[in-house]
Amino acid sequence: MRDKLLMAYRSIRERRTRSILTVLGIAVGIAAIVSLMSVGYGMEEAITGELTGMADMISVMPGKITGHAYVELGSFTDRDVNDLQRIGGIKDITAMTYDAAEVEYRNKRAPIFVLGGDTKELGGFYVEPVGIKEGRWLRENDFKGCVIGDRVANDFFDEVIHVNDKLIINDEKFIVVGIFEKASTLYASDVDPHIFLTLHASKEALQNDEIKYIMVRVYNIDKAEEIAEEIVERINDNHGLDDFAFAMTMGSAIEMMGDVFKIIRGVLVGIAAIALVVASIGIMNTMLMSVMERTHEIGVMKAIGAKSRDVLTLFLLESSMVSLVGGVVGCVLGVVAAKVISLVAGTAIGIEFSAVVKPEVLLGGMAVAMVVGVLSGFYPARKASRMSPVEAVRYE
Amino acid sequence: MIRTENLTKVYRMGDAEVYALHDVNLDIQEGEFIAIIGPSGSGKSTLLNMIGCLDTPTSGAVFIDGIDTGKLSENKLAEIRREKIGFIFQQFNLVHTLNALENVALPMFFAGVKRETRLKRAEELLANVGLGDRIYHKPSEMSGGQQQRVAIARALSNDPEVVIGDEPTGNVDTETGNTIIDILEGLNKEGRTVVVVTHDAEIAARVGRTKRMRDGRVLD
Repeated sequence: MRDKLLMAYRSIRERRTRSILTVLGIAVGIAAIVSLMSVGYGMEEAITGELTGMADMISVMPGKITGHAYVELGSFTDRDVNDLQRIGGIKDITAMTYDAAEVEYRNKRAPIFVLGGDTKELGGFYVEPVGIKEGRWLRENDFKGCVIGDRVANDFFDEVIHVNDKLIINDEKFIVVGIFEKASTLYASDVDPHIFLTLHASKEALQNDEIKYIMVRVYNIDKAEEIAEEIVERINDNHGLDDFAFAMTMGSAIEMMGDVFKIIRGVLVGIAAIALVVASIGIMNTMLMSVMERTHEIGVMKAIGAKSRDVLTLFLLESSMVSLVGGVVGCVLGVVAAKVISLVAGTAIGIEFSAVVKPEVLLGGMAVAMVVGVLSGFYPARKASRMSPVEAVRYE
Repeated sequence: MIRTENLTKVYRMGDAEVYALHDVNLDIQEGEFIAIIGPSGSGKSTLLNMIGCLDTPTSGAVFIDGIDTGKLSENKLAEIRREKIGFIFQQFNLVHTLNALENVALPMFFAGVKRETRLKRAEELLANVGLGDRIYHKPSEMSGGQQQRVAIARALSNDPEVVIGDEPTGNVDTETGNTIIDILEGLNKEGRTVVVVTHDAEIAARVGRTKRMRDGRVLD
């Protein structure tokens, strides 16, 4: 057996260009499958993982969504907030005020949304999942301190803002005490473009303390829909309107995005299936060609006394080795391609995610390479090994 | 040693039947050196392929050492080709990815001979045909005559009783041709049965017996 392995190896090495091409043919097919699956899993995990992390949250807004636009109908009152505290199953409530302000930094001005609220509550909602990159989170007595999102720090002004820099918000001077990390997809719109103030400071700067946004966290995710309905009912009662408040659970957010996910997953599975078929045909083609072009050699071997089985064994060893190498190279290329694709695609569509390489995908890729490679090597090798030696020797 | 009985091979060409061999009866004695001559298409090579167990007849039989080869399995035939017969082709038919040494050792590889043993014997066989200094050369790095000598060494690797040559001097120059005839003669003197098909008058003149073929039949 060792002799036969050596012989097969020799034969592969002697046909270096052909072997490299065959390996590449297999590798490209496997790489296509591995990378697509990994990118698909990466997207899925990035989005569902994050949503699951936020699944206990309900956003409550004073307005309604008509079509694709949100129309603000007014603001919440302290009574609304107090009433919510009486609903069972609610863990945390944070009420926020929210308004656009004119912000000046080093003589440049820009309109930026400012969020104000209870520092502990706000911190609970944002600091833990997003993280502070520089400085620290707000304290209750930070009347002149602010924490800014990543885009405020880096994109909104010509110069990058750092901790201890001064900002002027609606003519009030503030000092930056902390800067958020760049937020992941689902927090990005809440955190990155905003300035965070204490409730007291926001009243001063915004000249209003209207509650424009309430975030609620529930104990039991399964009850979230129910609680959301109750919230809407109570607030609507308070304001005497039928559709004053709008509450959105993460569950309903997932549902809203569900169709999109289904399409994305369907497309990825479809492309992977096509890649699999193309890869299989490519592997078969290269294997067929490399065995066919050696029919003469097979004839010679038979003429000098090789049995059909000897010939078959040699060729199967060869195609297994080539398939194995092709599979390994394909997996490596696939993983690299998946990382690159997720990076490029992530930047292009604005959803940051990284490819998830599952061991079963790699094993599956290897298995496809081996099975398709060996099977497609087997067929022509068997055909050639069964030819009469004379026929095979004459074959050019 | 080798006997054919009403050996017939028919090829179909569309609707027509072409007789490559027509009731050939030939008896080759052990230790004989016989040349089969005749024009192209007379069936010489077909006859040789039958005797060499490379092809199967349409009807009739080939006996080697009294065994009817038509009754043997694929594997048994391979065994006969490997152990009893050494075949030399006009086109040399070396495996071009292997060097001279490995080509000569190949029949022993299929016979399951140990690596050290077969490489040692292959080296000796190559030295015997005057290629002791070329053992690591690939066929592409050798002249036609050298390749044919490698092919002869390969034919001898399992020490066969019969050596069969299909125009062994057909693709080499006259001088090399003479060397090859010398080698074949030597093999015959060692007691091997040598059967060659040839156009070469030189060979025909030096062998013990010639048989002429025409239109698939052996004359005389």
